[in-house]
Amino acid sequence: MSPTIQAEGALLEVEDLRVAFAVGGREIRAVDGISYAVEPGRTLAIIGESGSGKTVGCRAIMGLLPTGTQISGSARLRGTELIGLSDAQLRKHRGSDMAMVFQDPARSLNPTMKVGKQITEAIQAHRKVSKSEARERATELLRLVRIPAPERRFHEYPHQLSGGMRQRVVIAIALACEPRLLIADEATTALDVTTQAQIMELLLELQQDMDMALIFISHDLGLAASYADEVVVMYAGKIVEQAPAKQLFGAGGTVKMRYTRALLDAIPHVERPAHTELPVVTGRPPDPSALPVGCSFAPRCPSAADDCTAKAPALIEHAPGHRWACWHPCENGGAA
Amino acid sequence: MAAQLPDMTATVLPPQPSLPSLVSGRRLRWQKISRALRLWVPAFILLAMLFICFVWPYVYTIPPGDTGSILDSSLPPFSPGHWLGTDANGVDIFSMLIYGGQVSFEISLAVTAIGILIGGILGLTAGYFGSWTDSVLSRVFDVLIAFPALVLVLAVAEVLGPSEMHLIWALCAFSIPAEARVFRGATMVVRQSPYIAAARLSGTGNWKIIFKHVLPNVIPGIVTFSLLGIGIIVILEGAVDFLGLGIQIPQPSWGAMIAKGQNVLTATPQYVLIPSIVLLIFVMALNLLGDALRERWGVR
Amino acid sequence: MSQAPAETPAGTQADSKKPLLSARDLVQEFVVREVGGARGGIVQAVSNVSFDIMPGETLGIVGETGSGKSTLARAVLQAPRPKSGTVTFRDMELTKLHGKALLSARRDMQFVWQDPFGSLDPKWTIRSIIREPLDAHAVGNWASRRKRVEELLDLVGLDPARYAKRHPRELSGGQAQRVAIARAVALEPSLLICDEAVSSLDVLIQAQVLNLFEQLRHELGLSYLFIAHDLALVKQVSDRVAVMYLGKFCEVGPGESVYKRPLHPYTRALLDSIPSTEPGAARATATLRGEPPSPINPPSGCRFRTRCPRAADKCAAEVPEPRELAPGHLVACHFPLIEDAPADSAAAVPAQVVIPTAPNTAKAQG
Repeated sequence: MSPTIQAEGALLEVEDLRVAFAVGGREIRAVDGISYAVEPGRTLAIIGESGSGKTVGCRAIMGLLPTGTQISGSARLRGTELIGLSDAQLRKHRGSDMAMVFQDPARSLNPTMKVGKQITEAIQAHRKVSKSEARERATELLRLVRIPAPERRFHEYPHQLSGGMRQRVVIAIALACEPRLLIADEATTALDVTTQAQIMELLLELQQDMDMALIFISHDLGLAASYADEVVVMYAGKIVEQAPAKQLFGAGGTVKMRYTRALLDAIPHVERPAHTELPVVTGRPPDPSALPVGCSFAPRCPSAADDCTAKAPALIEHAPGHRWACWHPCENGGAA
Repeated sequence: MAAQLPDMTATVLPPQPSLPSLVSGRRLRWQKISRALRLWVPAFILLAMLFICFVWPYVYTIPPGDTGSILDSSLPPFSPGHWLGTDANGVDIFSMLIYGGQVSFEISLAVTAIGILIGGILGLTAGYFGSWTDSVLSRVFDVLIAFPALVLVLAVAEVLGPSEMHLIWALCAFSIPAEARVFRGATMVVRQSPYIAAARLSGTGNWKIIFKHVLPNVIPGIVTFSLLGIGIIVILEGAVDFLGLGIQIPQPSWGAMIAKGQNVLTATPQYVLIPSIVLLIFVMALNLLGDALRERWGVR
Repeated sequence: MSQAPAETPAGTQADSKKPLLSARDLVQEFVVREVGGARGGIVQAVSNVSFDIMPGETLGIVGETGSGKSTLARAVLQAPRPKSGTVTFRDMELTKLHGKALLSARRDMQFVWQDPFGSLDPKWTIRSIIREPLDAHAVGNWASRRKRVEELLDLVGLDPARYAKRHPRELSGGQAQRVAIARAVALEPSLLICDEAVSSLDVLIQAQVLNLFEQLRHELGLSYLFIAHDLALVKQVSDRVAVMYLGKFCEVGPGESVYKRPLHPYTRALLDSIPSTEPGAARATATLRGEPPSPINPPSGCRFRTRCPRAADKCAAEVPEPRELAPGHLVACHFPLIEDAPADSAAAVPAQVVIPTAPNTAKAQG
């Protein structure tokens, strides 16, 4: 079982969160017991491939999962328990305490509504301000997210903006009521790498200015290395490794989990010569409706032993600040 | 040669998760059951109707559907020997439903089938080849569809003269362009798929692509419309009968029964209500079946 | 930009001096339709692009959205035909061929799409999918084709006994892409064009498929035209890399040369933006300001000038022509990032560049 997290002054505390769906008569375990905490002003990166449960976990916290989803566990935002709240109650928190930015800005924005109006709508949902005050605030937000000529852009439609600018608008909407927690779900995946760098820098600056906690979800370990304070790696619905970014990626980085190591080795690096054969992990992630008894990564792990398939290892803090769940972790960062 | 990749499913252990299940077993069972019900209940209803109309009269003798004794005229429902009653001429209503059902089924299925066959080929051609072919064919469809269906059907029926075969051809004037349009739309969507480009790059000829790639992928998209179309044809046919241009009395059909019964609606509502209810059940079953099939085939 | 056949770039396995594929001055344009069908503008997706691919070589094309790289790939394939320019493949001028002649000329050139499921007919079995090119070109007889399908499945690492009779929806993304690759190599082509072929796959699966590409390169002697937006990915698989921006090549050269000593400011900016997991790597920074301009009305002269920190008046006036500034390494820039400034550049070119606030009006600071 995952240990309880007692972090002093933590903004968000997630404890043993589990999410399951019933689809076509089968139970899909999307999230299988995860626990972590984020402090104000800190950046947490949740890294995982598709199907790891990274998005579902955060949507469960925000209450954005379809009705009928089974959620258990706890997620406390500044002490307030979010799991189990009704939609009406959660709506009070969404936008004002916590906000989320999604992957595709074209689909997050209403194509038939002017950009400015979408921001003022978000503002007026939580604050009792006049229309002109909301407009002023919206224009200020557009300036804050570094959109040039904000007064003009206020009156434009989403299709008149580029992908990067649309994502900035989405961020502006998310920040409209100064939330304490911002969750960015693959927010830069659909953007070009140059735009991605701009948006990530923007997010970090805003985070500093507003003392927000930032969680960004991605499959890109490079983003985590570059921009995160703390990294959580998820696989098959569970957290498999958690450590400060410097400990994982910095010089002398000690990656313990075989899965994290496999991810790092599999990413093409500019520094490597062309045509090198990438170290490969065979197979694919387990079916979330038929999770194995032991370690979920065991069927693919090159170092799997009998104890790995017999019993699932627990996520334990073996070293200060660094937790992992493995019976046979890597030595010396396990560099390939 | 490449090493065989280990097969994932062979190494996954029997599903005995370490944490207890969150979702109740009851809910999962109900999901499976309701999914099956959504398909089989309407399918069963339709099959039952077909059975009653086509098989039952040979199993169990029923009174004729076009003649009756004047002694039995206007009997109410639940009369002995005529459980749905009789009409003004003494013709048994249940028999009329059965024989009328035969006619309605034959006509609507034939018209829809011809529509799918001819309209389908035209729509596939227009949608696949685009440009001139599509422009020309589309204008033809547009003109035919723009005509109010009933006017078109009546015109054709008038020209050809009243009889069941001619009625079928007349109704095809509606179903062919309608199906063609739906096929064309679905084809144009499928046409954009990379697998069509891949097939062309592989060297496959156009017509082979149309029948082997486009058609199988277009069928789920037209099923709902076509099933619904069957119901529409039945009603359309009834309207034509009412105007004397369709099948001739005393041969019944559901549409004709409804049409004829309108005159005496206040006095004897059952002449309209009974066939209307049967038609309602028929169309709803078609609709629900279409929905369930779409769900199975994953059509969005 | 022309690659003089006499200069075989480093890293290729060219066994002949003649290019397998030669594209010259390709131009592709699209008319943008406004709402209601009126003509809006013309998207200049590809403007005067030229390149060669030698036998056995992998040319990578990297660019962001709107660069025109996918359009370029389709233009090479003649689907749709480029507006102008020539594509010579194995001594055959593809732009002049039609119908059956084009089909048989193209037989040796195959394509792998980005969406593994989109490129496989969901109603067909895996066996039929891989067989299709064999049937279309009437290769061998029924029995030999069946055997060939099984060989191909083995080649890409899928067990024929288990996968041949399945449908694409029963496969994972990585497996589906392997099927697409098996189909692509069925006719033993000499050139494989991969358009973001691994971009939609998870990292670990992506590595598997990349290794497969390498293995096929060895075993079948394939040449590749590899298109992607991920710089590290492109470098991993390519011998030479071309960087594309708004329909034109900025820079072309051997992978190592382009990535270690980029000559074009855009390439430099791209490289700076990549977040790296290498220990001690510098944090990714955004050195480019502004938004990419619209391909409908690209900037005059050098198309990159509106975002370039080194832009000067000359950049707006003249379109930069590609020049070879390092062995096999060409760049189209008036002020490339090179230590010894070439003859036609008036300003000295520093290593560090101050980014002005209004890039298209400020002169490059020496």
